[in-house]
Amino acid sequence: MKVRKSDLIRTLLSRCASLFRRQTLDADLDEELHTHIAFAIEENLKRGMSEQESRKAAMRAFGGVSQTKERYRTQQGLPWIETLAHDVRYALRQLRKSPGFAVTAILTLALGVGSVTAVFSVVKGVLLQPYAFRDPGQVIVWRETIREMQRAVPLMPDNYRHYLNLKTHANSIQDAAIIQNPVFSISTGVDHPHMTEGLAVSPNFFSVLGVNPLMGRTFAQEEAQSGRDKEIILTWGAWQRLFHGNPSILGMTLRVGDEAQTIVGVLPKSFRFPVVSMMPGQATYGSTERYEIFKPLVPSQEELTVNDGDFNYLVVARLKPGVSVQQAQGELDGIEKATAAADHLAIHLSVVVQPFSQEITGDVSKPLWLLFAAVTGVLLMACVNLANLQIARGVAREPETALRAALGAGRARLLQAVLIENFLLGFAGGLGGIAFALIGEKLLLQTAANLPRMNEVHLSAPMLFFALALSVLTSLGFGILPALRSLRVLPQGALQSSSTRLSSNKQAVRSRRLLVAVEVACSVTLLIVTALITRSFSHLLTQDRQFNSQHVVMARTDLSEPRYSSGENMPQNPGADPGSLARDSMIARTLDRLHSLPGVQSVAITNVIPLSGDMSVDGLVRPDHPVPAGQTPLANRRFISPGYFDAMEIPLLAGRDFNQQDRDNPRVLILSDKTAKTVFPGENPLGRTIRHWERIYTIVGIAADARINDLKRNAPVFYLPYWDFPPLNPVFLVRSSQTIQTLGPVMRQAIWSIDPNISIPTVISLDTQVDESVATDRFQAIILSSFGGAALLLAVLGIYGVLVYSVSLRTQEFGIRIALGSSRATLARLVLRDASYPVLSGIALGLLGAAAAARWVSSILYETSAIDPWAIGLSMALLLIAALLASLIPLRKATSVDPMIALRAE
Amino acid sequence: MGESKSDVLQGTLDLMVLKTLESMGSLHGYGIACRIEQISDDTLSLNQGTIYPALLRLEQRGWIKSEWGTSEANRRAKFYSLSRIGRKQIEMETENWERIAATMARFLAPSN
Repeated sequence: MKVRKSDLIRTLLSRCASLFRRQTLDADLDEELHTHIAFAIEENLKRGMSEQESRKAAMRAFGGVSQTKERYRTQQGLPWIETLAHDVRYALRQLRKSPGFAVTAILTLALGVGSVTAVFSVVKGVLLQPYAFRDPGQVIVWRETIREMQRAVPLMPDNYRHYLNLKTHANSIQDAAIIQNPVFSISTGVDHPHMTEGLAVSPNFFSVLGVNPLMGRTFAQEEAQSGRDKEIILTWGAWQRLFHGNPSILGMTLRVGDEAQTIVGVLPKSFRFPVVSMMPGQATYGSTERYEIFKPLVPSQEELTVNDGDFNYLVVARLKPGVSVQQAQGELDGIEKATAAADHLAIHLSVVVQPFSQEITGDVSKPLWLLFAAVTGVLLMACVNLANLQIARGVAREPETALRAALGAGRARLLQAVLIENFLLGFAGGLGGIAFALIGEKLLLQTAANLPRMNEVHLSAPMLFFALALSVLTSLGFGILPALRSLRVLPQGALQSSSTRLSSNKQAVRSRRLLVAVEVACSVTLLIVTALITRSFSHLLTQDRQFNSQHVVMARTDLSEPRYSSGENMPQNPGADPGSLARDSMIARTLDRLHSLPGVQSVAITNVIPLSGDMSVDGLVRPDHPVPAGQTPLANRRFISPGYFDAMEIPLLAGRDFNQQDRDNPRVLILSDKTAKTVFPGENPLGRTIRHWERIYTIVGIAADARINDLKRNAPVFYLPYWDFPPLNPVFLVRSSQTIQTLGPVMRQAIWSIDPNISIPTVISLDTQVDESVATDRFQAIILSSFGGAALLLAVLGIYGVLVYSVSLRTQEFGIRIALGSSRATLARLVLRDASYPVLSGIALGLLGAAAAARWVSSILYETSAIDPWAIGLSMALLLIAALLASLIPLRKATSVDPMIALRAE
Repeated sequence: MGESKSDVLQGTLDLMVLKTLESMGSLHGYGIACRIEQISDDTLSLNQGTIYPALLRLEQRGWIKSEWGTSEANRRAKFYSLSRIGRKQIEMETENWERIAATMARFLAPSN
């Protein structure tokens, strides 16, 4: 018989269709065969046989009726699917019979797998996902260091001349681009101008990254010159946001700052550049869609010549294929040192090369991996609990399994039944896990909104599928071992009285104790790490900051309009230029206006938003006490108005605040305590002088060491009255009883009533700013605490489960003991001793684990020792209390055993 | 083989069923079995029951179709008939069978 493919397909379809109308078809077959026999009997009767003979002959001619039916049926349907369906139905029935077990198992899996998936989606989006460049692994960042300043500033931005030199001479580098991150005020001409961020880049920036524009072109080499740089490139997002995706965008203009700039290109939608900072380790946080504009970078004449200062840039380079970061490091550093020596520089330079990803996410890498390790620990504990449940279930089902085996069920078939049950649990758990992962991801995105690249975190379909697969595999893996254990049971043993079964039960108790010990160990480790991180975080929040962040609202303004910025605006040469005067008057009028608002206690300005890290770091030179080059003490320069210390509530330790008399003679300064002690060790600095920008300033006050740059560091600061150089981006601070919701809009209106063309990019409360500056730490503490809680809960469940079980096995024994006069207290001791083995050995193991983990996390702890006795003590106490709570119910059960009932039970 | 009945060759039963339906039109299972026995002159050892899996196979391939009807003796029975694909199949199968039979004949013929 020639059977074609179409015949096979028809056959398969028919077989599948018959799966759904089994009963009708069976009835049909019965009737058909019945008719057949009836026809035959009729015919035989006609031939003159007796009734009995006719039937016999008919049956003989037909052959076996039931064999025919069997053959027919196997041929009609899909037998293996039917066996499978049967086993699935059986498994579902089994699970429905023990809903407690099913729900616990599914929830455990769902929570475990869901949280692992959610955290992994963050790890993947932030750390593992390659950047949208060509060969992102070959992209590096290099920075410079100056040995003489290493202590104050370990890593510096780059000097333009050094960049040119290294780029020209290095063989390990394919090409190198140099960038800077100015803030632009832009206007499409319809509203108040607003601020956006962008990068000034050397023309080869896009070719170094290997990115081609979607439309138009990138910059040409000659556009990196003053006067030729009136062109910009937009990101896809900016094109959509500002121009609604207008297809004839090329050649249109956008006002950037005070000039119209021509749009020459639009970048592809996939292009994203993470937030960079010129100073290392600062503010690489935030969305990778923040930069919207790229413009040519034009170095100043000074920057082209200065060799030992003006470290203002960041270099992004591409390694030649096959060249490692270490090789490039060696070569670049060698060139830098040789050049510095040849130029007889007084400072000792070197170069530090890092992969691009390290530059952007190096700081969050460890916290994120820590979270991932913690959540994996929780998943592991969940699995151990599951295995534990499975062992108990296996033992409880031993008689049934034995019965099935005795009735002839093969081991393969028994195993298949267990596998199907575990598969169903795993599948349901996986579906729940997907739901939990989606919820968890939302929560993570909220709590960790300002991690770098957080906007690229995305739970993709493959990852959700992976969650499902993980759940199924976990369930199979941790379910199959206990199942194999219970399959070893011999039918005769299991079917006999329960007393002979005791030994196998004892063995089950032993393996469950081991699992509980593992669980306790995991949770002790996790609890100690959580306690350390939480203590470090609370330390960060509760330490004395020497300023009061409550009830202060800040508005940052941008004075880059031509009337404010004309004239010389380098702070090194302040003067009575028209721009400075305009800024001075604008600031003074705005301060007055803000002061007259109802409910306002104090008003001030500064030039840098607090808690945005070190900025404007400058040397402080004592004319009376010269120090060798490169050893000048460094401090953060802040321009402030009188009243700043009141508004911030920073205590003045000595001397006075600035006042209106200083307006005519602004050559005065106030030092922070730390700066004062560094510059004038053991002396009274009041009335002494300091040379700065080639001018002499007199010290009039000492302020407390307020952590205004970074809560984690006591940064040295010196303050100058703003009249000395009215800042281009003054930040107005208002201390008032009103909330930001009411005060914010009022402040905006007050500023715009002075000049409606000023853009106000940020209005934020100081409290929020403080919160955001420790967002990563908070995120870590919150997430770890929830994992720690989950771990504790799982441990309690595990201890409870194993105790309840062993008590129930020993009911008879307890009954006998009571009957023989044993006191309830003795029984309680027995139960507690039972619990103490796994708990104590688990704690010992956990301490070892914690010791290893603590060494790893110590670098992300803030002023907290990795062997903090409080953290360790608290965690152990918590665990012991939890273990005690877990044994209360089994304890009650054991001590309330009625000897009569217990002895009569068998 | 002598006088003993020969077994039905694998695959030949299907062709016999098709052929029977071709010459007799619509027929029930018992009728088909009787007809095959009759044609083969009782030289085949055919359990009548084996006809049913064959009928199912042919129906699954779409070569025959079935419907419930009433026999002459007023008994409800399932009647089978050839489908369009089945008719074409007969030609192919016949050709195929003849080729095999001819080949077998050449093998069995005296080799002189």
